[in-house]
Amino acid sequence: MKNALTNTLKNASTNLVSLSVRRAVTAALTALAVAAPAAAAFAAAPEAPTRNYFVYVCAESDDTVHLIRFGPGGLEEVEKITVGSFPTETEGPHGIRISPDGRHWYLSIAHGMPFGSLHKYETGTNEWLGDATLGMFPATMDISPSTGLLYVVNFNLHGDMVPSTISVVETGTMIEVATIDTGVMPHGARADRSGGRIYSVNMMDDELVEVDATRFEIARRLALGTDPAMDHSAHAGMAHGGDSGGMDMKMPTVKPTWATSPTPAGKVYVAGNGDSAIYEVDVADWRISRRFDAGPGENPYNLEATSDGRLLVATYKSGNKVGFWNLADGEAVAVPETTRRVPHGVVVSDDDRYAFVTLEGIGGEPGTVEVYDIEAAERVADIAVGKQAGGIAFWKGEP
Amino acid sequence: MLLHLASRSFSAGRRRPSRPASSRSLRPATPAALVAGIAAALLLGGAAAAQEPAELLVEPSSLTLEVGETAQLSATVKDGDGNELEHPVLFFSRARRFVGVNPAGLVEAHRPGEHTLVAMSPRDPEAMDRRADIALMVEIPVTVAFPPLERISVAPLPANLYAGTSLPLSAMAEDATGAERKPDFAWESSDPGVASVTEHGMLVLHGEGRATITARAESVRGEVALSVRANPAARLELTADEDEARTGDVVWFRARALDESGSEVPDFPLQFAAFTRTPDNLVAPGAAAFVEPDGAFVAERPGLHTVVVTGGGLTARRAVRATPRNVRKDWEIVGRGPVRDRHTSDLWVWEGLDGRDYAITGTWGADGHAYFWDVSDPASIHLVDTVRVDARTVNDVKVSPDGRFAVISREGASNRKNGLVILDVANPTDGVRILARYDDELSGGVHNVFVAEEHILALSAGRRYDILNAEDPANPYRVGRFELDTPGHGIHDVWVKDGVAWSSNWTDGVVAVDIGGGGKGGAPNNPVMMGSFRYPNGWNHAGFPYRSESTGKMLIFAGDENFPFSFEPEGDLPDRAAGWVHIGEWDDSGEGREVARYQVPEAGSHNIWVEDDILYVGYYNGGLRVVDVSGELRGDLYQQGREIAFFEPADPEGYKKNAPFVWGPQPFKEHIFFTDWNSGLWAVKLVDPETPRNMGEPN
Repeated sequence: MKNALTNTLKNASTNLVSLSVRRAVTAALTALAVAAPAAAAFAAAPEAPTRNYFVYVCAESDDTVHLIRFGPGGLEEVEKITVGSFPTETEGPHGIRISPDGRHWYLSIAHGMPFGSLHKYETGTNEWLGDATLGMFPATMDISPSTGLLYVVNFNLHGDMVPSTISVVETGTMIEVATIDTGVMPHGARADRSGGRIYSVNMMDDELVEVDATRFEIARRLALGTDPAMDHSAHAGMAHGGDSGGMDMKMPTVKPTWATSPTPAGKVYVAGNGDSAIYEVDVADWRISRRFDAGPGENPYNLEATSDGRLLVATYKSGNKVGFWNLADGEAVAVPETTRRVPHGVVVSDDDRYAFVTLEGIGGEPGTVEVYDIEAAERVADIAVGKQAGGIAFWKGEP
Repeated sequence: MLLHLASRSFSAGRRRPSRPASSRSLRPATPAALVAGIAAALLLGGAAAAQEPAELLVEPSSLTLEVGETAQLSATVKDGDGNELEHPVLFFSRARRFVGVNPAGLVEAHRPGEHTLVAMSPRDPEAMDRRADIALMVEIPVTVAFPPLERISVAPLPANLYAGTSLPLSAMAEDATGAERKPDFAWESSDPGVASVTEHGMLVLHGEGRATITARAESVRGEVALSVRANPAARLELTADEDEARTGDVVWFRARALDESGSEVPDFPLQFAAFTRTPDNLVAPGAAAFVEPDGAFVAERPGLHTVVVTGGGLTARRAVRATPRNVRKDWEIVGRGPVRDRHTSDLWVWEGLDGRDYAITGTWGADGHAYFWDVSDPASIHLVDTVRVDARTVNDVKVSPDGRFAVISREGASNRKNGLVILDVANPTDGVRILARYDDELSGGVHNVFVAEEHILALSAGRRYDILNAEDPANPYRVGRFELDTPGHGIHDVWVKDGVAWSSNWTDGVVAVDIGGGGKGGAPNNPVMMGSFRYPNGWNHAGFPYRSESTGKMLIFAGDENFPFSFEPEGDLPDRAAGWVHIGEWDDSGEGREVARYQVPEAGSHNIWVEDDILYVGYYNGGLRVVDVSGELRGDLYQQGREIAFFEPADPEGYKKNAPFVWGPQPFKEHIFFTDWNSGLWAVKLVDPETPRNMGEPN
């Protein structure tokens, strides 16, 4: 009953107004919804889509971006866009994000000579509009919905284990206006709903960082670990010292690779790729509130929660699976295997009905985009795209 | 109430005309945004949104600063009724290396110029609807004045100056910070009867006497005193080391001014020029020859060329006859190892320990294959083994000088660790086996490798190269590393000759590093930089060191790579590249000086090999190019009839059909092997043509 009510409101809000309104509605219902039994959340059988959904997908080893449509007509590629400027070098389009107004998409390209870059395109026409040179291996990004500034981590995946930065880009002019010192191998970058805070992880420092998006500085750091009872909050606000990334040269164990936007309940979820776990962080208390064990060898990589914070979808990079988690009780309610190896990105549709998952593949295998019905936790479609499909961004849903 | 709120929220996109600077919306309101605003107010309540910011004021609205000066910006956010709000404002600079601003609005000027600061305030931090007019924004123009000039230095003039001659002037200006500036100098002479300066900065010496030449800019002046002597020159002497030459040959002209007694007049300024009478059947040849300021003359077209030298009202001339170079050869396709289902990358050809000849080729953007071919009979190339590794691209392939092992590079490994793979190629006919995988700190993708005796040089992440000891190729280990320290440095390739590693480094050009043979104390575990050969376009992609057999000079053949034209690796149309081969003479001081180029119009250079004074270039869409580089080299070799042959390998069944895109060549035992990106391995042979003249040229 509660689930049905949620869906009804969800559909109504989607049809009538905007995502923010829907989120306001669903936020008000969060406490109610999270109390629903886990089984009920996944009781629905897949239903055919009634809307068209559009996602942009990066093929990192083909230097292409694919515009994919999923709807009543099925799953199809609308357009393949070749990106980069050195066709005989694999430049590696990695991160992708849509502007808050939906008019542009932004793409990080990992490799240059040697710095990577950020590129701006118009959605729909896919016309290239501009670029900015950034740091080493720029990767995940997000755009503040309240300022339009873009924050992209300089992952520096292949460089020395030294602290890296988050670049801040004014998207109107495509000028890098600031760099924020963060940590070793920063990855994942998601803004809160105000755009005032950005959440990212430093993979080789085992930490989650909160960026003050208006002051261009790290506001808080949270050390991650395998023991949920451990008081990690002691690290909050600590200075980030030295080349050791503040970890006293301790080898990372969590190796976090992703942080979600805070849910309406104020939780950020972090993928522990190294210890095969998912961490729930209470933003207000700035502490780990729960740790979900994904199982040995699964290695969660990217995460996305539904807008109501009720469900979490995770890609398991080594396990070749997609995990669906009920965040009310922290239980994995379904873990379907993927059709191809090396799952990478995941994004949830604006109405929370579908999760779009990218699979890299290996060697000459094409990449794949899979579509999952979230309520049923069941794959409903898949399509081949370019090699090493990774970054994915949800553009829009339309009738 | 609700409509009032919505109106304030989304219609305040205006800029006040007067100071202080005020905000503007990033974009006009949209109906969708209006609906969203109404709905949000319905759900969230109107009280909070009633104080929606409508205007951002910044004082001062513009700044003029000196370098190093600071200023404070203050910002005020107001709602639609003009009430001040407690609302966040962020500041940033669009040129932060020139002018900085901190979160509190404190501005500091770093470098001169016209710059822009931005103040921004979110309209509604809680709104998540997709709209563009998300923030109030104010631009604050900042003028950072150029520091005043402090010093102008006029370049020294020769010790001897003669009436009736002219020579160029130059000056350098520095500002108060010590930075070099390039103002427009105003020149003047204290005695125009002795010396004057033309509007183009040429010093013209008119008569005997003393004068001071002054260069002015802003309020600063620089001077040089000169003393003009009577012109003692009675005649000019012009000699040449040859009277007959082929096109492309460098003929050295030497000119001297002599006085009545036949003694040389020192420091006498002379200028060379050349004109040509081409054969009657060579019509409209364009520029047919050139002579450089040092007297190096090269004919690009056959004919009777006259070199003129002038100075002090005197002239001398001397003719040289240039004949066609006639080095052209035809080609013959001998054999192929076609690869049509994926792109092919580099190759290496070697004689195996079993006495047979083999070639290894890599693959690009595919699934990690390296192919091993028996090329003992180039007319019957056949595949003997295939190695597949976890990679998408095996960009480079190299074989050790002793033929025991091969190294292939990996990019696009599924675990992103990449690195390289060492293969036992002692007997490819009986199979190639993997000896070792090495990815320690090479996870960024190894784009190119080189095997120098028992060491492997492997590029890492486009930033540096690591040097691995491979005496036991099954157990390689790192012994050294070289990385430039220039800002934003990158690296693309490395080649070793006689204990010197020559890396190709884009904007940093070709860099020479002593790793054991450079005489600078270098070793594999102690690489020592010797010098570099940089050139302006910054496209340096490959470098091939070569000592000319005909001149003994050490030359660097530095190839560009660039793709300024549209390019679709998986499309149907042929692709185009740009760039050329820069040829530099390397001197003992450790610097290269560009003396010549080989530039095929509308195509782009890629990999290079030079042997027996012949240049072989994979010229992408320009095909395989074979060029005579014997003798001294000056100018554009393409124009000089030095091209021996070119071959465009079109394959109607290629990965991209009939689209030549030659990757790299290697001459080997009377044949030229090369790989083509779209069609695989080729073996061709040059044969004598019926006539060696350039096609289309007159007899």
